[in-house]
Amino acid sequence: MTASPTSAPGPALPSTRDENWRYAPLRGLGRLQWTPPAALTDDAIASARALLGDAKASGARWTFIDGHYAAALSSGPAPQAERAPQAGAVAHAAADATDSGADLAFARLNRSHAAVPVTLRIPADTTLDLELACVAQSVGHPAFIIEVGSGAKLRLVEQHLGAANALTNLWLQLRLAPGARVEHSRLLQPASGARHFETLQLRLDAGAELHLVQLTTGGAATRSTALVDLAGADATLRWHTAMLGAGQQAHDAYVRVTHDAPGARTEQAYRGIAADRSRIAFNGHMRVTSRARGANSDQTLRSLLAGPAAEANARPQLEIDTDDVRASHGATVGKLDADMLFYLLSRGIAPDAAESLLKWAFVSDVLAKLPDAALCARFETAIAPLLPGAEAARSLA
Amino acid sequence: MLEIKDLHASVGGRKVLDGISLTVPAGEVHAIMGPNGSGKSTLSYVLAGRPGYEVTGGSVLFRGQDLLALAPEERAQAGVFLGFQYPVEIPGVNNVYLLKAALNAARKHRGLPEVDAFEFLQLVRSKMKLMQMDEAFLSRGVNEGFSGGEKKRNEILQMLVLEPALALLDETDSGLDIDALKVVANGVNTLRAPDRSIVLVTHYQRLLDHIRPDRVHVLARGRILRSGGPELALELEARGYDWLLAEAAA
Repeated sequence: MTASPTSAPGPALPSTRDENWRYAPLRGLGRLQWTPPAALTDDAIASARALLGDAKASGARWTFIDGHYAAALSSGPAPQAERAPQAGAVAHAAADATDSGADLAFARLNRSHAAVPVTLRIPADTTLDLELACVAQSVGHPAFIIEVGSGAKLRLVEQHLGAANALTNLWLQLRLAPGARVEHSRLLQPASGARHFETLQLRLDAGAELHLVQLTTGGAATRSTALVDLAGADATLRWHTAMLGAGQQAHDAYVRVTHDAPGARTEQAYRGIAADRSRIAFNGHMRVTSRARGANSDQTLRSLLAGPAAEANARPQLEIDTDDVRASHGATVGKLDADMLFYLLSRGIAPDAAESLLKWAFVSDVLAKLPDAALCARFETAIAPLLPGAEAARSLA
Repeated sequence: MLEIKDLHASVGGRKVLDGISLTVPAGEVHAIMGPNGSGKSTLSYVLAGRPGYEVTGGSVLFRGQDLLALAPEERAQAGVFLGFQYPVEIPGVNNVYLLKAALNAARKHRGLPEVDAFEFLQLVRSKMKLMQMDEAFLSRGVNEGFSGGEKKRNEILQMLVLEPALALLDETDSGLDIDALKVVANGVNTLRAPDRSIVLVTHYQRLLDHIRPDRVHVLARGRILRSGGPELALELEARGYDWLLAEAAA
């Protein structure tokens, strides 16, 4: 790993020589200022208010600015903050002995900046709708611990946006007790020049279900590290990611799913589009331990090169330690289909609209996994500026 | 409507059209027949502007305008329609969206406003009924999961909605059973009009029993070897293509 970020002595950051970090946008991180502002200012609140607009959440809404809770922009019961676990013991009940130090480096960096994590405990058999808006103004290390009780349901919409050139290092720990069900929709939309790093540590107990749909677009660079433990029998994970790169952006995601109990099921789909000179990468790492008999996993990783100097990497990785497993996996990288393009042109559709239509089509099966039409509309609004000329297609899809 | 003069074209460096001259007046249906590899589909692709097909000589006028100078989408907007032999599937792009976008593109070209949504749906429904297509197709991706026959019907459906001035139908009859063929032929016949021309590219005479052409041209080895009335098609059915090829070589 490389030297520590100069602004604080402490955890070292990975380098691209580390396993699972090969395509991560790590250049220049040591020179960045990682210390967040000590408190919220009125200016910060005003800027965030302008950015968020008047959208009303149906349930509770918590807004954080550079990791600080902004009561003025929130609604519903206020979050509880807990004593921070020690920086050295990044809390994870099923701490994985094979976790390379590099994978949790950003999580350790988050903890070392001593922001107290926000903890949310959802009692058994209850239901909660929560909108989490994380606004990045300068530097923030938002930290969340969410525990969903047995049989409880959480519908979580998580949005990341903010000012130009901001820096975010998110840590999110999510634990689903037996029979819990979570629908988690994530919109990562850093502003121009901004960088977003995140570490998600997720654990599903017996019979729990997590449906996650994520859209990553914008900013200068993003890196998402997700470590998912299917620790209980018959847990279900549905993980869908759409990543759209433009300009000179770099987006990288590493998702490691460990089947560690019988009968668990994973369905994972990634759709990435790299336009202009952008670079996108997705590493879908599936591990099935010897305890995970009857494991069932489906993974499709598809990338589209849509720019003269674009780069896309999609890496499926499988480690299977049991014979009793059903796994289907595929990764493709390609360009827009010339026959499809010509078909649209031959119907009078202009070339940029035809390309946009095909790109919409390319990500549509991820968007189709969103839990409702309102969320679909939000995600489509986030994508629309990147795919001009095809707006009307959405309403007829 | 369409004037082709001494057209030469290559694909991948290989010459496929070797001096085609052909005039299709407005209001007429012309059939282009020929053995496999004769260049029939190439002619359609060249007229529609498909990439990879290089024109190396000659000219094409469409309603007096230089067709070859237009981009493919401009040709479509100006009223040229290509019915593909092998229509491609486009999952994720909705059939009804494509129809509406195509119709609006043509209308915009003519300085008309976008079609009214309700009227559009009524129009599409009536044409689908004519083509005996299930309305469920509308909500699917373009040609997605369609059988060969359904794809061909979808091509004709698009033609009926777009009402092009020049329809180039490339082996529209291939892969169709007799009932589907009748439905497709009926659809094409409803579009016959004094201000419209239809070019049927076909290998078999069978289609021409249902869509009676005004002229038949035989294309072989990149050239038109003979032109005649509908009886020429019958003669080809009876005698095959070899006698014509032999005559041309002589």
